[in-house]
Amino acid sequence: MARWLVRRLAWGVATVLGVLLFLFLLFFVYAKPQDVARRALGEKAPPEVIAQWLANHGYDRPALWNAAHPLDTMLADHYRRMLTFDFGRSDADDVPIAKRLRHGVGPSLSLTVPLFLLGLPLALVLALAVAFFRDSYIDRVGVVACVLAMSVSMLIYILAGQFLIGRLLRWFPISGFDPDPRVIARFVVLPVLVGLLAGVGSEVRFYRAVFVEETGRDYVRTARAKGAGDGRVMGRHVLPNAAIPILTNAVMEIPFLFTGAILLESFFGIPGLGSITVDAINANDFATLRVMVYLGALLFVAGQIATDVAYTLADPRVRLG
Amino acid sequence: MRGRAAALALLAAALACGNDPYPDADASARILYVPFQEPPKTLDPQVAYSVYDHEILSNVYETLLEYHYLKRPYQLIPGLAVEVPTPRALGDGRVAYRFELRRGVQFAPDACFAQDGGGAAGRELLASDVAFSLMRIADPKVASPVIETFARIVGLRAFGERLTHLRESEPGFADLRIDQQYARAGPVEGIRTPEAHVLEVVLGAPYPQILYWFAMPFTAAVPWEAVAWYDGRAGRDAFGEVAVGSGPFRLARYDKRSRIALERNPSWYGIQHPEWKAPAATYPSEGAPGDAERGLLADAGRPLPFLDRIELRLEKEPIPAFTKFVQGYYDRSRIPKESFEKSVHEGGLSPAMAALGMRLERSVQPAVYYLGFNMIDPVVGRPAGERGRKLRQAMSLAIDSSEFLRIFLNGRGIPAQSPLPPGIFGHDDQYRNPYRQPDFERARRLLAEAGYPGGVDPQSGAPLQLSFDTGDTTVQGRLRFQFFIDAWRRLGLDVELAATTYNQFQSKVRNGAYQIFFWGWVADYPDPENFLFLLAAEMSQTRSGGPNTANFADPDYDARFQEIKDRENDARRLEGIRALLAILERERPWIELFHPEDYALVHGWLHGVKPSGLAVPVWKYQEVDPALREAQRSAWNQPVRWPAYALAGAVLAFALPGVVSWWRERQ
Repeated sequence: MARWLVRRLAWGVATVLGVLLFLFLLFFVYAKPQDVARRALGEKAPPEVIAQWLANHGYDRPALWNAAHPLDTMLADHYRRMLTFDFGRSDADDVPIAKRLRHGVGPSLSLTVPLFLLGLPLALVLALAVAFFRDSYIDRVGVVACVLAMSVSMLIYILAGQFLIGRLLRWFPISGFDPDPRVIARFVVLPVLVGLLAGVGSEVRFYRAVFVEETGRDYVRTARAKGAGDGRVMGRHVLPNAAIPILTNAVMEIPFLFTGAILLESFFGIPGLGSITVDAINANDFATLRVMVYLGALLFVAGQIATDVAYTLADPRVRLG
Repeated sequence: MRGRAAALALLAAALACGNDPYPDADASARILYVPFQEPPKTLDPQVAYSVYDHEILSNVYETLLEYHYLKRPYQLIPGLAVEVPTPRALGDGRVAYRFELRRGVQFAPDACFAQDGGGAAGRELLASDVAFSLMRIADPKVASPVIETFARIVGLRAFGERLTHLRESEPGFADLRIDQQYARAGPVEGIRTPEAHVLEVVLGAPYPQILYWFAMPFTAAVPWEAVAWYDGRAGRDAFGEVAVGSGPFRLARYDKRSRIALERNPSWYGIQHPEWKAPAATYPSEGAPGDAERGLLADAGRPLPFLDRIELRLEKEPIPAFTKFVQGYYDRSRIPKESFEKSVHEGGLSPAMAALGMRLERSVQPAVYYLGFNMIDPVVGRPAGERGRKLRQAMSLAIDSSEFLRIFLNGRGIPAQSPLPPGIFGHDDQYRNPYRQPDFERARRLLAEAGYPGGVDPQSGAPLQLSFDTGDTTVQGRLRFQFFIDAWRRLGLDVELAATTYNQFQSKVRNGAYQIFFWGWVADYPDPENFLFLLAAEMSQTRSGGPNTANFADPDYDARFQEIKDRENDARRLEGIRALLAILERERPWIELFHPEDYALVHGWLHGVKPSGLAVPVWKYQEVDPALREAQRSAWNQPVRWPAYALAGAVLAFALPGVVSWWRERQ
């Protein structure tokens, strides 16, 4: 296990370093900081203002090679900043990126945590129910409904939710966010509902398939033969045995709770981490974009390792090595 | 199951609240609610240059001069100054302006004033604060975009150079407090403060437009304490993220990604001293023709400001913003394209919107959009001589601005005849540019005279190939450009759209490798010079990086431009402008397209709204009626609850038979 973990971590580090190199090539070699400066300062900016901006952001150094000071290059600086989490300032408006991330975590979590905490149990309960009523009309209609639900794009749910629930029925504000505890619930409920609806179809169908497969196994027949009731069979026997695929799905999601839900945040105007990425793209804010891609890669690698470890904890048959 | 119960509880709680995005306690307050589509880039007055920046800044900081809120053409009124100064010639070509500041004006209290050991209370605003702002413009570290303009102040550029020199050569200098650095690198010959409340500015040569710059946030008075304190270190914000001004409002909350709030500044001189009846602190009693009829003089003579708070919420998407406006949660709104038909009917308000008690405010912006030719190009430019000129004239005759406005902008704009928009000295409502009235017959004749009969290039025997260069790759952009290309295709010309990334387009522009482009200009100040300089040779993009992207260089134009650019608005200036427009009419470096028109919807409870294309502190003139607003909001926003019950019933009805039959089987 320990050796496996070390090897896995080493691969993870190599992956992240590779992502950083790729980011450097994309944002310093392909798209030049001079172009970013022009966009940030506008067409009216004279050349000396642009030079000063480049100097202020540390973009006035040689890109790859500096004979006098080998470490005073943009490449070295890029790695140093990322690896020490010293992210510097946004290209678009000079706000410290760390500050922006700090401010974005709260709104993102207020959306993704309810989504995760409600979504997983909801999907499991519905999947158990559908699997429980297997081959009845509830199962068939349920599966058809799931397939329909997962075939519709997230955007449609968002727009339909805003139009129907926000505009026609006037239950909630159609978009926006305010961390003020007096009103925050009004803003969060609609995106959470939309997120649940958009995600629940595929999850229910997936978990149902898992449960149905499990209910056909020998141990279930044995349990029934020993007189276990339906509820006990589903809850005590099927659910734990189906844990591996559930874990794969769920543990992988946890790191990304922090990066937010890009589409939901953008369309509902929630100032979380997901919309930071979109905003950064729109504003040509490459400094922020680099950080978001880097953090995404870190979390992805972390999520994968966490999932693998979770396997061993959930299922004693799985050995890593 | 507990999760579902919690969800239902949350749902029930939220359902009881309805769609009001604001705390209930705010319902009766004098708050203005407005959406913002983009956050300010910076709140540093000496750096900020976008409309969004200026919208906030102009209400928080104050300038020596301001624009009259109602009068058009725009007119300067005294702000922090007691009166608008007149230029005084010094004999050697230099010109001096003497501003006398109001006494007793205070900066709003802020933590930065406590760094000298004093309290956080504000202090009096003095002439030296305006001088400090002017010096900041020259400070290379500040990177102000308007140094070129202010370099006309004698010795200002040299001050910036001394500052850089000292910072680089003298150890420890760069760590001195900013006011000490400026004192060491100063004084600036052309900026003097002979008395605490008097500022004298000396220009090296006449430039009457400088007064307009004293109405722009670039010259807003900034306390050095704020610049020194807010340095972005040790957990303190950077200066561009805070606002320490003297204006009618102060920044109460600044969360660029969702919410910005301003609140009334109780230490503002207008609130402290209503008896001064200062022009910039009193609602005007005269306006432009028609203002009285539109109710814009109802508050005449009242001391400003009327509002207690301004709440700005980020709304990146126009449709949700508009929906919230219609629900009554924003007090004014732009009209998104999708809702235009519903809101506007034959140039006026639609009956549906009028029934909600709204008003429509229209105003032409001091801006121009145009198609430009790269005049150093061998085919479309000056090197092609008479052929090139006739080609440009023919291409100009093929473009129908009215049709473009109708298709792409719901008619929001007026076709441009020259670079000068209405409201700018030299604009003539009667003038019709002979090359800007669509006429395909004449265009084809000119094309034949240019040597391209039917659009065919005799050298290749094929249609003449031109390229339309743009940095806009969006679908909407392509549709718009296709409109022009189709018009030219009707002449037989083969214009290819070269849509690249913005960065690639910029590098093409810098290298001069482009033929035709689409561009716009929004005035910095309401003077014809601010439009006509866009075609002066010294502003050439490819040669000097200036805004003359057409690279137009005409000695006659340049000579006449020099004559008019610094003149007062008199008959000779008008004559000079006419001559310049005649050159442009003939030479066609631009195909002038349109001057955009702003349409805004305003609810019946918001008063005193007059749109302006310039950085005008509008909010102090506006007034809301919260009682009417609250009544309308609750009438318009009763939630429809029955579908929730119906849905719950349907789910139950669906699942119940299955559960019942399973139960029976089990029994």
